Amino acid sequence: MRTRVVITGIGVVTPLGQIPGEILGGIETGRSAVAPPAHFDAAPFACPVCAEIRDFQPQRYVTESKMIRLMNRDAQLAVAAAHLALSDAGVKPGGSYAPEEIALYGATGLAGLPLAEVIPLVKASTGRDGQFDPTRFGQAGLRAVSPILSFKILSNMPLCFVSICENIQGPNAVFTPWEGQGAQAIETAIRAIECGDAGCALAGGCDVKTHELAFLSLEQHGLFASWRQHQAGVVPGEGAVFLVLETADRAITRGAQIYAQVSGFSLRTHRMGTTRADTYDDVFNGLGLRPESLSALVSADNGDVESGQDERQALSCRKIAAATTLHPKKQCGDLFAAAAALQVGLAALLAARDGGRVLANCFGHGSEQAAFVLTPP
Amino acid sequence: MKHRVVITGQGLCTSLGRSADQFWRNLLAGHSGISRISLFDTSWLPVRIGGEVENLKPDELAREFPEAESERDRKIWLGLDAAASALADSGLPRDDFQSALLIVGVSLETCFLEDVTPVAQMSDAMRHFAGQILNKKHSRRLQTPLDRLTQILGDHYGLNRGRYTNCSACAAGAQVIGDAFRRLRDGTAAVALAGATDSTLNPLALGGFSLLQILSTENDEPERACRPFDATRQGTVLAEGSAFVVLETLEHAQRREARIYAEVLGYGSSLDAYRVTDPEPKGRGAASSMTKAIADAGLSPDEIDSINAHGTGTQKNDIAETLAIKQTLGARAKAIPVTANKSMTGHMIATSGAMEAIASAMTLYTRKIPPTINLACPDPQCDLDYVAGGSRDFEGRTVLSNSFGFGGQNATLIFRRFEA
Repeated sequence: MRTRVVITGIGVVTPLGQIPGEILGGIETGRSAVAPPAHFDAAPFACPVCAEIRDFQPQRYVTESKMIRLMNRDAQLAVAAAHLALSDAGVKPGGSYAPEEIALYGATGLAGLPLAEVIPLVKASTGRDGQFDPTRFGQAGLRAVSPILSFKILSNMPLCFVSICENIQGPNAVFTPWEGQGAQAIETAIRAIECGDAGCALAGGCDVKTHELAFLSLEQHGLFASWRQHQAGVVPGEGAVFLVLETADRAITRGAQIYAQVSGFSLRTHRMGTTRADTYDDVFNGLGLRPESLSALVSADNGDVESGQDERQALSCRKIAAATTLHPKKQCGDLFAAAAALQVGLAALLAARDGGRVLANCFGHGSEQAAFVLTPP
Repeated sequence: MKHRVVITGQGLCTSLGRSADQFWRNLLAGHSGISRISLFDTSWLPVRIGGEVENLKPDELAREFPEAESERDRKIWLGLDAAASALADSGLPRDDFQSALLIVGVSLETCFLEDVTPVAQMSDAMRHFAGQILNKKHSRRLQTPLDRLTQILGDHYGLNRGRYTNCSACAAGAQVIGDAFRRLRDGTAAVALAGATDSTLNPLALGGFSLLQILSTENDEPERACRPFDATRQGTVLAEGSAFVVLETLEHAQRREARIYAEVLGYGSSLDAYRVTDPEPKGRGAASSMTKAIADAGLSPDEIDSINAHGTGTQKNDIAETLAIKQTLGARAKAIPVTANKSMTGHMIATSGAMEAIASAMTLYTRKIPPTINLACPDPQCDLDYVAGGSRDFEGRTVLSNSFGFGGQNATLIFRRFEA
């Protein structure tokens, strides 16, 4: 018999707030965080908007100002969301679980390095011909950059800061860079609990796609194509979401609140020569979904017209209907590496509140696609 | 049911050679792969040495991987070279590829400063640059996602059983093999291609790491610069390279009569939860990783016969690792041979763990432990039986391999000589 794995904590730092219930309520009532970027002019881009967190204060979660300076924004958001998730679950490393028993699996996105931090280095390294000059880089460029730059570029750092701030010492891995990898972090956490490698796991992701370098990269990777063709498309967002997962037995023993049980998950690789709708159908097949009515669906539709159509086509082909459908990415922005955890977290909240089977689709850029089914405990 | 998991293919692309055989011969001979960096002008940098892969020819590789033709990031080419070698070495039939897992380790994105320069120069740089991109006048990507190699390999070979990209810094190479091992052991798949690739030999990465003062600046004696466990050590040396293995369940390997290098027996990982800048000084996190791996392998500490150390040559790491080995193995710690491949290869960051996994498998396969070179004056605080002065014959049955990542991620793998 498979071990029952449940969600007992949800920590979110998103453009729609930091209280899971309020975020769910906001999405249900049509609240939106989508707006033009506050810190740069998006006019050159096909995508004119993003979803930003306006009132985030890292010092609320990290008391050492020196440590805050070492962190990029992704890491600051991750530390906050991880803390909120553990608090929500009532898990304190060294309490119900030894620090070594708590696993940490997460996803991070493209290197979150705002251009403002690189530009002093580049300017000092530019030769008279206007090109990058390695000699000037060695002579002056390196002096223009902080020695802590490496900590902001390395993709594993957000999770390392989480482990330090929360004293988590268990099994771990960091995946990158899209939503599918965020789903893989959750799947790996579930497997670690099932096989007894971890008693409890913190799984999720963080990502910041609301700065100019991210916009340039998303443009280059073709993610804004839908905006040009249809005046609608993906809304880059920022945020971090972590879930606390543990066995139902341990959760019950320690008297924890249980949001939902993860009653199924399916991860599939998009195969060359097939359509995305085929891949989504393959994901549903992996979940064993037959024509059925779910109580709720947390849709992966991020505004990109074609991928939204693909999701609807896959659902329709398999005759999967839902009494309620949420489209969090359209209101909260696409959190990319953190998106899967938000999708699953919202599904857990719905399962806890309304009962029934809730499907969380974690479809996104890249080859890896996933979905999870959440049910009441 | 738990499946036994074995290594049936190995591929490497390192400063010590572009085949597993060449790499292993050089490692046993105690040759250093560290030299002056020729990839770019380092004359004004404090660090001018590294482990550079010679004769990497992207144009030749592009004939086999045309989908990668426009890639400029060396770690992609390095990875393609090693992954192709591992698959060829395994003799795995093409029909088996589509059911194979693919797990790739990497560390950090390569930032091409020459591409960012135009952005920095102009007051309306964003508008200009975005316009260039939209008009397809600027085709060079500012950021290459770290899953790019995973995508190319997966699509090229049709590896469709799940593709993972792990970015756990210096622990990534060991974690990807550990993760693949676990998934094969529990029956998720029967075959996996797992490995890592990295190249920090570019201005920003080399400059950035040199600011952290963990790199040796002994530019005049490159081959002596990396001295793990030596009292005179001054830091580690960055290197580029890639290493991949083909893992199979034993039933799958035996069914096709594959050559088996070694059995993967256990895996453990842990977090220091200490500082991002330093390892936990008493080696607590590292010891936890080793202890978990030994338990996962179903062994007792007395059954570990050799250790392939993380052994970077930095002051703090070598002492912390020595303490961790003592905590984990007790009195036996001083009785078993310990070696540090990085003394010859340099630190390949994400790739190191995968490279050392291959070295561990080859130790069991050839019954020889490669030396730790440049260890002439052992640090009194590093008082284990380090294999110095030449390779050593080895009749033991198990090797434990450590990888400790920047930021406090630790991973340990355990290998056993294959016995049917």
